[in-house]
Amino acid sequence: MTKSDIGGISSPEQAAPTTAGKVSRRSFLATAAAGAALSMPAVRRAAAADEKVLYVNTWGGAWEEAAKEALFTPFTRDTGIEIRTVAPVSFAKLAAQVRTGVYEFDVTTLGVAELGRANQAKLIAAPDKAILDPAKLWPGAVVLDGVASHAFGNVLAYRNEKFPAPGLQSWADFWDVQKFPGSRCLQRYAGRVIPIALLADGVAPDKLFPLDLDRAFKALDRIKPHIRVWWSQGPQSQQLLRDGEVDAIGMWNTQVQRLVEAKAPITVSWNQAVVDVAYWAVARGTPRAENAWRFVNYAVQPEPLAQFAVKNDYGPMNPEAFKYIPEDKAKQLPTWPANFKNSIVLDPAKMLPQIDEFSKRFDQWIAS
Amino acid sequence: MYSEKTFPIKLVAGLIALFIAAPMFIVIPMSFSTAPSLEFPPPGYWLGYYQRFFTDRNWTLPLFNSIVIGLGTTVLTLALAAPAAFALVRHDFRGKALLNLVLMMPLVVPHIVMALAYYSYFGALRLVQSYTGLILAHTCLSMPVAILILTAALKTFDRNLERAAANLGSRPLTTFRLVTLPVLKPAFLVAGLFVFIHSFDETVIALFISGRDTTTLPRQMFNSFLMQADPVLSAASSVLFTAVLIAVAVPAVMRAMRRRRPTPGRA
Amino acid sequence: MGSSVSRLLRGPAVLYLPAALFLLVFFLVPLFNVAWMSFTEPDTGVGNYIAFFSSSFDVGVLLNTFKTAAIVTLTSLIFAYPVAYVAARYGGAFGSFLLIVVTLSFWTSFLVRTYAWMVILGVKGPITAALVMLGWSPPPQILFTTFASTFAMTHLLMPFMILTLYAVMRRIDATYMRAAAGLGAKPLKAFTSIYLPLSLPGIANGSVLVFITCLGFYVTPVLLGSPRDKMIAGRIGDEIEQMLNFGGASAMAMVLLVATLGLFALYSRFFGLDKLWK
Repeated sequence: MTKSDIGGISSPEQAAPTTAGKVSRRSFLATAAAGAALSMPAVRRAAAADEKVLYVNTWGGAWEEAAKEALFTPFTRDTGIEIRTVAPVSFAKLAAQVRTGVYEFDVTTLGVAELGRANQAKLIAAPDKAILDPAKLWPGAVVLDGVASHAFGNVLAYRNEKFPAPGLQSWADFWDVQKFPGSRCLQRYAGRVIPIALLADGVAPDKLFPLDLDRAFKALDRIKPHIRVWWSQGPQSQQLLRDGEVDAIGMWNTQVQRLVEAKAPITVSWNQAVVDVAYWAVARGTPRAENAWRFVNYAVQPEPLAQFAVKNDYGPMNPEAFKYIPEDKAKQLPTWPANFKNSIVLDPAKMLPQIDEFSKRFDQWIAS
Repeated sequence: MYSEKTFPIKLVAGLIALFIAAPMFIVIPMSFSTAPSLEFPPPGYWLGYYQRFFTDRNWTLPLFNSIVIGLGTTVLTLALAAPAAFALVRHDFRGKALLNLVLMMPLVVPHIVMALAYYSYFGALRLVQSYTGLILAHTCLSMPVAILILTAALKTFDRNLERAAANLGSRPLTTFRLVTLPVLKPAFLVAGLFVFIHSFDETVIALFISGRDTTTLPRQMFNSFLMQADPVLSAASSVLFTAVLIAVAVPAVMRAMRRRRPTPGRA
Repeated sequence: MGSSVSRLLRGPAVLYLPAALFLLVFFLVPLFNVAWMSFTEPDTGVGNYIAFFSSSFDVGVLLNTFKTAAIVTLTSLIFAYPVAYVAARYGGAFGSFLLIVVTLSFWTSFLVRTYAWMVILGVKGPITAALVMLGWSPPPQILFTTFASTFAMTHLLMPFMILTLYAVMRRIDATYMRAAAGLGAKPLKAFTSIYLPLSLPGIANGSVLVFITCLGFYVTPVLLGSPRDKMIAGRIGDEIEQMLNFGGASAMAMVLLVATLGLFALYSRFFGLDKLWK
């Protein structure tokens, strides 16, 4: 990604060698700033240095409750570092933090595509090896400065009254608005929607990469008029399906699992589920980086991770975590070796070369 | 005498008023609902969402922030607008029309434009996510409201009172303190109240420039909309509505009570 | 000391300069910065404007914004007029009641009312229930449509319109109407030939205010509207939040600003700027 792509969002290190236009804007602002003569935030930054606190960006709802119980509370008990949560999750906010130097949160979780984007835009920090040593974790634990935490499925779910049995069984059915008329909903997230569109268009799972973007966007064009709303927050997807505001939706397995438990009249299909991995990432330049890495290191340890994963039906990425999960439960999780082998997993290495291109294209496509 | 059937038009007006009031008939019952999301009529009633509104830090902090920012904005706006209103009403000077235009402009410029403006400008000044930034932004936007109310009040102010005081030997500052200010006090109160509400309700700019520790109530409500639209929103809404109800109804009732006293010339 | 204080109190500059400087630094400069960014980010030139006006989607958004604003203005005028009319002409307890309802609504936060419409128009809300009862099955999904956001915006801006109309109508002398009736004019005739023309300034004021506010509406279309029919403010927000494209967002903001100020200038030429708030 070039600097101009992220329009003025550049880290302090990047700021110097930039276009002439931007420099003059900066000097223009600096003059104005001198006129204003206000510099309150200096106080704020000084105070941040030795705080025993950490701000974690969360998805709210069920995610946050599970994280609180399995990760935050035990971490605070062990280290005395208080964890405060900040919602909603926003990639833009992560980028804005580096631009403004004011950190709303220190740690966040990113999916594969966002991790790639954040890494390329230099929005996240490399691991502090004194605290979190990649060599001491399992192979492949650290990717693009993100620390793998858990895998989750992007599954298909729908309202029973709209689509009586057998209902929708694949993404192709989801796309087939003739046979299954009704409103649709997907996440506003290029890295998951594009593979789903290709699967719907008949691409075989093992032929998914490299992504055929032209084909994907053609398929997306067909479903676009039927997308009633694009969801961006986990609990939002849950609410939309629960209230019946949308008839069929692509959403995370955890969120929909809560609805199944609450006996909502819905059906979930794991067929062709697109499995993404969530990585812990630390915002670059945050004054609380040390606390942040201590937390990330804790969060991927087998025992806390196992608890967190079980509560949410996530697949732990740390293989050791399965030692703490009863086998009958483990067999249901996305990363249980037998399941993981057969599922469509978004692989960072395969996606990386295309992330920049498809993210940009998706943004433009969705806005037009 | 003229004969005009007033009933049909009154009925129409009444029905439209009902429509205008309709949301409140929904939001208030919703706030006592036990339903986890948007469901009307509610399946059951409890006070749980109020409890969350008043105890959950995710809601109490924004409430507190909005009050602080609203008060800060009120004080700063009045401090700047009051003298300007005096200048506009009592003096003629070069550039008065231009000044008037600039003072009124924040009323017309769309908030999203200012949100972008502040996001980038305050970003460079390191004022995003600070009380200061929000108070400065809200003060600009509230300036026209305060100016309008204060100039209107000043225009009706009888300057003979001041002249009389001066003739009696009172110094200008004393006159201001003992004569001008007490007469204008209601106007200041009204202007202050309107400015406060203006700041308290402002959503778009707060969405872009407030942050973790300075989140305002409207921003938290907006995010809650997106997150899960849970009924804490309806509790928050009902609290806000009740506050407005008190602010609007109490003066009206007081006026009505005063009107009860026999007034000459009214049979 | 007394004389210097009195001189201070008498000189107008010292009275208005603080406010003027404040608005210069914290209102005009940031606004100019947006104009500046629209020509400099990411490259110097008019590229952002060319991109905007050559995108059929963006031009469509702009047209849709104007269309929506026109619909909202017209609808709110139609519904507002009878209320303002009754309150201004007949007054009394009923008139006060109308005004109190309107004022309450006026001061109730946009967000609160938007939330209310989300509940009312939702699938589990009373409107859908009523439609089902009337035999409309399956009931239409109303939320996240252009209709929902247009409807809610009309409701949000109606108090605005009523209060502006009322301010003008209150000053219309009732004796004209009585005189017309006395001369044998039918009520409708008296209304159209006397009252309506006298209330025109109110209609103009209210319409301009509502139209301008509607052009820049962000919250309601974003929360209740359809992702397919965007309005320009939401598009600007998207450009900032999702695409981090400040140059493009600035160009769109300038287009919106120029449209708003242009309308305003046009209005003030015909009616005088002052009249808008009096």
